[in-house]
Amino acid sequence: MPQTAVLELTNLKKTIKGKEIVKGVNLTLYPSQIFGFLGPNGAGKTTTIRMIVGLIKPTEGSVTICGYSVAHDFVKALSNVGCIIESPDMYKYLTGMENLLQFAAMNKTVSQQRIKDVVEMVGLQHRVNDKVSTYSLGMRQRLGIAQAILARPKLLILDEPTNGLDPAGMTEFRNLIRKLAYEDGMSVFVSSHLLLEIQQMCDMVSIIKQGRVIKTANVQDILHDDWIEWQLNDPEQAIAILRNHWNIEALQLKKNTIRACLSQHPLDKINDQFIREGLALTYCSAKQNTLEDLFLDLTEGDEIV
Amino acid sequence: MKLFSLIENEVIKMISKKRLMFVLAILVVLISVFAYGQKQTLERTKAQLSQRMGITATDDWRKLADQQLIDMKNRLESPYRDEKDKSSLLVRMEQLQYNLDHNLNPLEQSAAKFSTKFMEQAIFLFLPLLIIMLAADMVSGESSSGTIKLLLVRNVPRWKILLSKYLTLIILEVIVLFFAFVLSVIISGFFFGFGGWFAPIATGFKVLAGKLDTSSVFNVPQWQYSLMVYSLAYFVAVVVGSISFMISILVKSTAASIGIIMSTLVAGNFISFFLTDWKITRYMFMVNLRLTDYLSGSFQPIEGMTMLFSITVLLGWTIASVIISFVYFTKQDILV
Amino acid sequence: MFKKSMWYSIITIALVCFIVLSIGFYQAIMVTSKVSAQPSAKAQVPQVSEDSAKPSSKNATSFKILIMGDSIAKGTGDEKSKGFSSYLSEYFKNNTSKEILVDNVGIDGLGSLGLQEQLDSRRLDKTILDSDMILVSIGGNDLRSILSLNNLTKEDEFKVRLDNYLNNLKQTIKDLRTANPNSIVIFLGLYNPYEKATSVEDTRLLNTWNYDTQQLVEEDGKWIFIPTYDLMKYNLGRYIAKDGLHPNSAGYQALSNRISKSVEAIISNLSTQ
Ligand SMILES: Nc1ncnc2c1ncn2[C@@H]1O[C@H](COP(=O)(O)OP(=O)(O)OP(=O)(O)O)[C@@H](O)[C@H]1O
Ligand SMILES: [Mg+2]
Repeated sequence: MPQTAVLELTNLKKTIKGKEIVKGVNLTLYPSQIFGFLGPNGAGKTTTIRMIVGLIKPTEGSVTICGYSVAHDFVKALSNVGCIIESPDMYKYLTGMENLLQFAAMNKTVSQQRIKDVVEMVGLQHRVNDKVSTYSLGMRQRLGIAQAILARPKLLILDEPTNGLDPAGMTEFRNLIRKLAYEDGMSVFVSSHLLLEIQQMCDMVSIIKQGRVIKTANVQDILHDDWIEWQLNDPEQAIAILRNHWNIEALQLKKNTIRACLSQHPLDKINDQFIREGLALTYCSAKQNTLEDLFLDLTEGDEIV
Repeated sequence: MKLFSLIENEVIKMISKKRLMFVLAILVVLISVFAYGQKQTLERTKAQLSQRMGITATDDWRKLADQQLIDMKNRLESPYRDEKDKSSLLVRMEQLQYNLDHNLNPLEQSAAKFSTKFMEQAIFLFLPLLIIMLAADMVSGESSSGTIKLLLVRNVPRWKILLSKYLTLIILEVIVLFFAFVLSVIISGFFFGFGGWFAPIATGFKVLAGKLDTSSVFNVPQWQYSLMVYSLAYFVAVVVGSISFMISILVKSTAASIGIIMSTLVAGNFISFFLTDWKITRYMFMVNLRLTDYLSGSFQPIEGMTMLFSITVLLGWTIASVIISFVYFTKQDILV
Repeated sequence: MFKKSMWYSIITIALVCFIVLSIGFYQAIMVTSKVSAQPSAKAQVPQVSEDSAKPSSKNATSFKILIMGDSIAKGTGDEKSKGFSSYLSEYFKNNTSKEILVDNVGIDGLGSLGLQEQLDSRRLDKTILDSDMILVSIGGNDLRSILSLNNLTKEDEFKVRLDNYLNNLKQTIKDLRTANPNSIVIFLGLYNPYEKATSVEDTRLLNTWNYDTQQLVEEDGKWIFIPTYDLMKYNLGRYIAKDGLHPNSAGYQALSNRISKSVEAIISNLSTQ
């Protein structure tokens, strides 16, 4: 896309207590984009997000929000961000409204009307004057979203935002995020475990595993691409051929099964080449794809570290 | 002004958290108990006196005061009087004369006397405890509830967030002192009457060559003395508040930081009791908290310990705490 | 909105009080640190009648008495502000034809250590040398604070105090004797000013105190120990001043009377020499 990036992560690394948790993440997020950040537990999603909002300092690399570096221009960079990180902790001894007033006071652009609108957007208008300690998890999550979007940020960062929402709440939430992105022009960066959520909501997705981004792609492309599965005698050689000649990343699934997404590349020519190179093909088929397949494939067999 | 709204936020949180109310409630209870105790003591003293001396009539103290006044006048004119005693004698005489002129039994309590005495007693342990309850929660409370994250991802630099918290603490310390004063005046007023604000009180004691020097003693009206006592108490509150504030940043758990600073304070009382010879103890903040003793001259003179010394030591601790707080807070990774 | 108004009251109170407290803090530092704070403005000392005769030059025709020690020596408690200084000379008039001159250097609250320091300062040496008779009253302040104690350490505390006191007194006796080898010295014993509030235990301590004092004092042939305990015991109402501790005018007279009776023979002797 031609527009300037809302969020740009370059070679972001973080080492905590001698353990490298994020190992060089590169991401770019454009206006009005909904960006999914997918990864198994302990992959480093939250850690990355903490670096984005300046809660922890990167060991290496930089975060740029709307052209401002978080490290050097913290205030300007963070003026464009609203976020929820992990659980939506609010001041439990204050009411929902008082919580919002607290955050409104820290940003002079928020009017009383805006607070009311936001409360209605997240559907809390009936309970907003109750103490947060009396809220259910889902209600707290809604309040969390409310405080994140309060100041109309250009970039909305949500770490597992649908945690605790009921199915109706999730649909509402999805519609809200869509509306914010497409009508108000917010960019949204969502981390989630819920693949279906990401699949239904996001334009782009990045899959992170053990601190490394292993795939970034357009969600529609991934879903519409067919996967091809080959069974052959020498998977290593096949992967090498795909990489060197076709620029395709293939995955070894089982002992002699590999899988790759071909996009526009012609399957017959690839098969020809395999045979020319002396590989014995026993089976080849096309598969309709879901994000879940992709996710499981990509992260298969790894323990949480 | 953004800082102002930040402070407003913090104060509103403090009010809602009920911690301020809790502190004030403790004050009410303690002052009432203390005032009641004083009343009992007073009655017992009077009973003892009347038993010993047969003084029952209420104005008998006047005769006694007259007698003392005459004695002191004699002494003042004695050629063998020690020059050093002169000002303390004059001061005593002025006080007695005031008592006689205003028909004030020097034995009797008054709201003015009580509120001052209360703070003099509270300054080294009780007041710090109240302040700790407020200060130790300010940062660690947000850390343990996770709300610190919400606070630090705004378009406000960290130092400003911390500054607003620190200034809030300074404001709440004033409020605690204010209520300590108002409550002790009101409560003791019911027991002893509301007067006594213009009675002369001796001050101006110094330590010269390790001995209490009374040569420059003079009287100030009670209200001014009370003001000085409460000002010193406020200074102590700021010092203790700053140190607890720092610990609450370093430790991140409210319970742990309250524990640490309280045990430090209590240890300080032990130290000042047992280790007076040990030179280094005088640089600890805990042994320098009894600033009002310098006003009343009721301290154990230790070579080198003066009001200025104690204030300098306390100020050093405060500045160090504040610097450590700010440096650590702006640099630390928030991982909660 | 309630919280909002609370916030405004808090910030107002805080600002005002902060300024006031800052002023108070400044004053507190000034008061305790400045070398000469403003002197007490109202401290005027009304003149009162003199009770001690001014010391005069050494004269063979005069009989000089030096009174030293604590508040009882000084005459505290006498509503007529006379004390031993006046009454003794009144009584002695009958025994001597010489002019009687009295020096009183008693100090309220003096203990045995203070008395010794007074002697050590050597300012009194000349006066002592000139004196024909010296009256010493000391020890009351050493002992007094113990009697009001009420705990198990009382006995130990008493022993320590008594030892210190006797040591000081021993030194005092020596110094007085060195300064003036000839004068007779009258030492006043302690009495118990507290009528009912006295236990058997306290009485015992007081007696021990007096007994040990007397033993020490009378090792020197020219010292005489005058008990006061018996005189005051049943006369507290009559002889004790309003402060419940010192003798009143009548008390001082009675004591002076007893002293003069004890030494009148010596005085007559001295006078006729
Ligand atoms: N304070 C810390 N000290 C040490 N290691 C930490 C700390 N916080 C996180 N980690 C480690 O960093 C890694 C990534 O953690 P992170 O919270 O970023 O994972 P995540 O992708 O958000 O996982 P989840 O899906 O469970 O939320 C984990 O292995 C975790 O053990
Ligand atoms: Mg996480």
